Order: sequence, then C-alpha cells, then structure tokens
Amino acid sequence: MPEAAVVEAKPARPAKPRGKQKSGKELFPDVAAGKKGSTTVLSVRGLTKSFDDKLAVDRIDLEVKVGAFYGIVGPNGAGKTTTLSMITGLLRPDSGTVVVNGSDVWTDTVQAKRMMGVLPDRLRLFDRLTGGQLLYYAGVLRGLDNAVVRERTADLAHAFGLEESLGRLVSDYSAGMTKKIALAAAMIHSPRLLVLDEPFESVDPVSAATVTQILKKYVSAGGTVVLSSHSMDLVQRICDHVAVVVRGEILADGTMAEVRNGQTLEERFVELAGGRTTVEGLEWLHSFSD
Amino acid sequence: MVAQFLRLKLTLLANNFRRGPGQLAGMVIGLLYGLGLAAVVTAGLGALRLATPDIARVILIVFGAIVVLAFLLLPLAFGVDDTIDPRKFTLFGIKTGRLALSLVIAGAVSVPALVVTIFSIAQVVTWSRGTVPVLFSLLAAVLIVPTCVLGARVSAGLAAAFFSSRRSRDASGIVLVLVLAIAAPLVALGATTDWQAQGLPVVRRIAAVVSWTPFGAAWSAPGDAALGRLDIAWIKIAIAVAFLLVLWFVWRALVADMLVRPQRETAPGHYAGLGWFERLPATPLGAIAARSLSYWGRDARYRVSLAVIPIVPIVMVVALLIAGVPAGFIVWLPVPIMCLFLGWTVHNDIAYDSSAFWAHVSADTKGTDDRWGRIVPALLVGIPLVLVGSFTSVLVVGDYSIFPGLVGLSLCVLLVALGISSVISAGFPYPAVHPGDSPFAQPQAAGTSGPVIQSLSFLVAIVLSSPVVVLVFFFPALPSVQYLGLGLGAVVGIGALVGGVYWGGHIVDRRAPELLAFTLQN
Repeated sequence: MPEAAVVEAKPARPAKPRGKQKSGKELFPDVAAGKKGSTTVLSVRGLTKSFDDKLAVDRIDLEVKVGAFYGIVGPNGAGKTTTLSMITGLLRPDSGTVVVNGSDVWTDTVQAKRMMGVLPDRLRLFDRLTGGQLLYYAGVLRGLDNAVVRERTADLAHAFGLEESLGRLVSDYSAGMTKKIALAAAMIHSPRLLVLDEPFESVDPVSAATVTQILKKYVSAGGTVVLSSHSMDLVQRICDHVAVVVRGEILADGTMAEVRNGQTLEERFVELAGGRTTVEGLEWLHSFSD
Repeated sequence: MVAQFLRLKLTLLANNFRRGPGQLAGMVIGLLYGLGLAAVVTAGLGALRLATPDIARVILIVFGAIVVLAFLLLPLAFGVDDTIDPRKFTLFGIKTGRLALSLVIAGAVSVPALVVTIFSIAQVVTWSRGTVPVLFSLLAAVLIVPTCVLGARVSAGLAAAFFSSRRSRDASGIVLVLVLAIAAPLVALGATTDWQAQGLPVVRRIAAVVSWTPFGAAWSAPGDAALGRLDIAWIKIAIAVAFLLVLWFVWRALVADMLVRPQRETAPGHYAGLGWFERLPATPLGAIAARSLSYWGRDARYRVSLAVIPIVPIVMVVALLIAGVPAGFIVWLPVPIMCLFLGWTVHNDIAYDSSAFWAHVSADTKGTDDRWGRIVPALLVGIPLVLVGSFTSVLVVGDYSIFPGLVGLSLCVLLVALGISSVISAGFPYPAVHPGDSPFAQPQAAGTSGPVIQSLSFLVAIVLSSPVVVLVFFFPALPSVQYLGLGLGAVVGIGALVGGVYWGGHIVDRRAPELLAFTLQN
C-alpha cells in the first residue's frame, strides 16, 4: 500500500516550522490513473498572500487532474477563499504561480480566464438585473453570441429550476436562488474548470441535490470541479479528491480514501485541524436563568 | 437599563472615533459645525433679551417652530442613525415601555440633541426679565428638548415602517428631489422679498398661527407670560404637554410594533424579455452598455443624480436673473452645466458596482469595452440634450446666431467630462453608497478623498473646455466664430473622450484585481 504511506499529515499543531513542509504534493502519485487520464488541468505552485503582515496563504501547492471533483475543506479563516480568489485571477498573489491547462492565470490572463468558470463567495452580483439578464450578461461578457446565450440560458434555467424566476430581479431572489443563478452564470460558457467557493452554502437540500447532479454530470463529461465547503459530509459524498487547508497551509491532500485514512472526513478533519474534542467550562449553562 | 443603553450609545460614538482619521475629522467637523451654529443662535437669542417682549416672542415662535419641524421632517428625508434601532433589541426580551424610554434617552446623546438643549437654555436667557417669564421658559425648555428628541425618533420610526422596503425607499429619494425642485423657486421668492419693510409683519402673521400649533406652543408660552397673558401661557403649555404625550404613545406603539413585525417586503415585480440587452449588440461593449442603461433606470443612486441635473441650472439661472445678469450671458450656462453634471454622473461608476465588478475581472473584459459601455447611457441622453437644450436656449433669448457655438461648448463639456470620468472611475475610485442603500445615506467608509476627487474632476473638465469659451467670448469679431467654436468644441471633446477612455481602459486592464479589492474594502 504505497499510497497510504505517501499521504502524510502534519501534526495537528506544528510548532510553526518555517522550512519547506513536506506535504503530499511532490510525492503524490497519479491516483486518478485508471480514471480520467492524467493530464493536469490546474497546477498551483507556492501560492502566497499576506494581508498587512498577516500571512493568509502560505506557499500552497495544488495539482488537479482533468475530471477530478476536488474539495477544499478548512475551518473559518483558513485561507480557502483567498486561495480560490488567487486561482481565479480575482486577487493578485504575493508570489507563486497558477497554471490552468498550460496557461498562467497571471501572465496569459486571456486564455486562462476563458477556461475557468467562477463562483466567488460573498461578492455581489449585478442584482438589479433580472435572472435572465444576468445570465445573458455573463455569457456575452465571455464572448458567446446571442443565439448560443439564449439557448444555454433556457437550458440552465431548466436544469436549476429557475424558469419561473428569470424575469425577476436577482435582488429579490432568496439566498439559495442567488447561489443557483450565480452558479448557472459560472457555467454558461462551458468552461474546462469550475472553481466554486462555498457553492452549497444556504442552498436547501433539494436544490443541493440538483446542483450536485449537475456538477457530477459536468465532471463525467470531462469537466473538472474545484470547490470549497464547510460541509464535510457533502464533500465526502461528492468529491473524489480533497485538500485540508488550515491556517493557510495544506495539511493533507490526495484522494478521498487516502485523506480519510479509514475515518470519516469530519473526524479526520477535526484531528488535522486540532479541534478541541471536549468542551470545558460553561457549567452555568446547565442551570437556566428563569 | 437606561444606564446600559447610555453606555451602549456612548461606546458606539467612541467607536466612531476609532474608525480612522476620516471618520474622526467628520465627527469633529459635525460637532464644531453644530456648536458653532448653536453659539451664533445663542448669541442671537441672548441679544433678544434686550428686545421688547412682543418682538422677542414672535421671533422665538417662528425660530422654535422651524427647529421642531426640522427634528420631525429631516429624518424622513435623510434617514437617521439606526445604530439603536428598536429591531436590534428584539431578542433581548426587554419590556416595551422600558425599551422605548431607554432608546429615547440613549438617542438624546447626539449633536442635534445637544444643540437643541443649548437653544432651549438660551431661550431662558431671553426671558430672564422677571420671575414669571423665567419659570415659564424653564418649563418650556423641559418640554422642548424631549419633544425634539422624541419627534426625531418617531419620524425615523414611521419612515422605517413605511419606507423600509427597497422600492419605496427609491421613491422617497425621488420625493425629496421633487421637494427641492419646488423649494428652489420659493427660496428665490423669499430672497427677493423686501424683508426690511415687510419682514416683521410677515413673521408676526406666521407666529400668530404657529404659536397655537404643537410646534410653536412651548416656545410661545414664556412670551405670553411676559406680556401678562397667563391664561394663554398655560394653554400653550398644555398643548405642548399633550403633544409630548402623543409622541410618547406613538413611539411606544411603534416600538411594540417593530418588535413583532419583520422588515416589510414588497411583492417582486416581473420583467418580460431582456430589456435593453435585446436592443443592443451581443458584444461585451453592448452588454455593458445595456447593463448600465438598466441600472440608470432601476437604481435609485443613478436616478437621483439624474434628477438633480435639471435643478442646478434652474436655481442658477433664477439667481443670476434676480442679480440682474443680462440674459445674453445667462443663455450660455444652463445646457453646458447640465452636460457637465451628466458627464460627471459616471465618475465613480466602478465603486457603484461594488464587488459585482468581479464579473468583469473574471471574464477578463477589455478595459476599453468596460469604459465605453459605461458612458453609452450618458451619450444617449447627452447628445439629444445638447441639441434640444441649445435650440431651446437660443429660442428663449431669440439670438439664433449663437446656436453653433452653444452646441460646440455643450458638446465639448459633455465629452470632456465623460473622458475625465472614464479615467477617474478607474484610477481614483472612492467609497460610494452600496447598491440598494438609500441614495442619501452616507457611504459606510466615508473618507476624505471623495470631495477632493469630485472638485478636482470638475475643475479639470472646466479647464479643458475653456478654449471654446475663450474663442467665443473674447474673439466675437472673428468671421464665423460660432462655427469655429462648434468645430473646436467637437475636436477637443472627442479628443478628451477617446483619450480618457483609452487611458481609463488601460488602468482597468492593469489594475482590475486591485480595483476589485478596493470595492471589497468599502
């Protein structure tokens, strides 16, 4: 079992060693062999970003193969959104490279961005447009022509169950519908790689099932999905690869089975992130005030 | 309970000071302005001590009624500090009466409340001419301050109850603009009245009515007492007390209502088809133009800046006509000024997008497409405005010879202002009101850069358009000078526009992620 051995996790609370961490990446064998080809669609090397001297992302390396369903999990403030923003070209990294299918996001911008569909977290949409206008806008900005945009708008609206809502302003949408229309806008130019930041947040279970189905179909057709999430169950269920990000570093990555190492993803995650298992104090909570 | 709310309000105030030098400066300027105003008025009210009781009384009534009305009306138009909105305390399970009282007392910790307290003390000075008037003025002061503070809270509460949905708040902005438009001629009328000859009788007539209304009653009581009409003074006090009680019960009811009722929702409207997107080509430039046009129609922030455009020249023309400036000079002003404001509408357009700008960054939209698309609405409105406006102007003064020159100047100002806006909105964005917030709200991270950039962009637009002005005004003897003006205006305008679009587009291309980061910060 060479694979189980190569995925090594750092101890839960490293004593902040600044040297090059030996995380799984370099040793990471082609686990997807036997599945979809072995071409790399997203390659991230030494990505680093700090805000006001506070290191948010610390030399992250990622390698995502074509056809992967790649989950990035981590506690709040671990640097997931920062990492994904730098991958999608929305945030300029301090150092490091991001290459999408051979094109560098920060030098060969036009090519690289064309191949990506993006769903950012907590960024506004042009929400004074109707749902239909927003999809049209996204498609045309991506260079699609009128007929194609209209056809795909209808298809996407049908797939996401938004047909009735295309004529309403996005600002009147519920949180879950807003997420779905944003996801539809990210997919309208049929990108090679979808980068989704918290695609399931505030989406109801029925819609989540729909979205999962759409994404799985997309992956089985040769697309690649990189998503971040808080929901361990969901990531465990739908992703085939996973990376655990804590305090701006990758603590473990690889296939789902490797990272889980016989536990559930949630147990493994808490172990890696160094969560406290026993809650102490709060005894006063056992007696009520009224 | 009250002490806790006071501490909360004071902490909120203190935190304002911590938010940065811009906030600090704003607070200090606000405080100094309030105190300065209070000082001037206090001096005036103190001086009234020497006036006859009759004159002091009528002036105080009119002044006091204006103050009370300001407290009642301004929150309707401008909104009010909602850091201690009753809704925020829904989950604490505080009894309604105590919450209502605590909120009013905490709300009294503000610059306006401080100012009105100073006024009411100053009016005691005015009446320090006998025991009875002093007693009544003290009673009045005790009534005036809570009436103002409570009145402001009630207005804000009513405004929140009826204008809180997005659509009606958009509407309230338009209402304010309309009120301003109507008020402008009234102010002009007021400015022309011969106040020295007719002023006092007018004030006297107003005071006679206002002193019986809740707004002026408390202010009138000490004067009535000083004139020896004690019975009337007591009735005025009774009116003021009754008004205060009414305000209190309305406030209590509002708080009780707000605690159980969530924010109002409006039924969402439905739009058929793609609107502007259908009428413009399916290219990035066309789509951005269609998006801008949709926003100009739907977003209150744009609608308010557009609604102000015709008002400024009207006020200016009226003022200049009253001042006796010849019409032959004034005719050159309205259309170019409207063009200046129109071109200036888009000078902070990326900040208006807020973080929705990511869509352009992510699609790697060409900077020039972004710039051109955003100015299409201004061109669609502006070019007809230049032609129709100039024609109307020359029609009014009856001098058709200046038509080409006027078109040239207006066109030049419009295009130059758009070119500058294209550079400014990419190179020097400053915090703007968030989409969906009231257009009259202050941006949450107000800095000092806004006013500087605004005035600078105005100045540059005027400087760049000045060659046309110089040509038309200083060389009127040149043959066909008007047509030269038209040509010069068009050349300068188109040059500035194209230059501005390409320069701004270059900035967008180079700094798109940084621009997005800026929109995220504010």
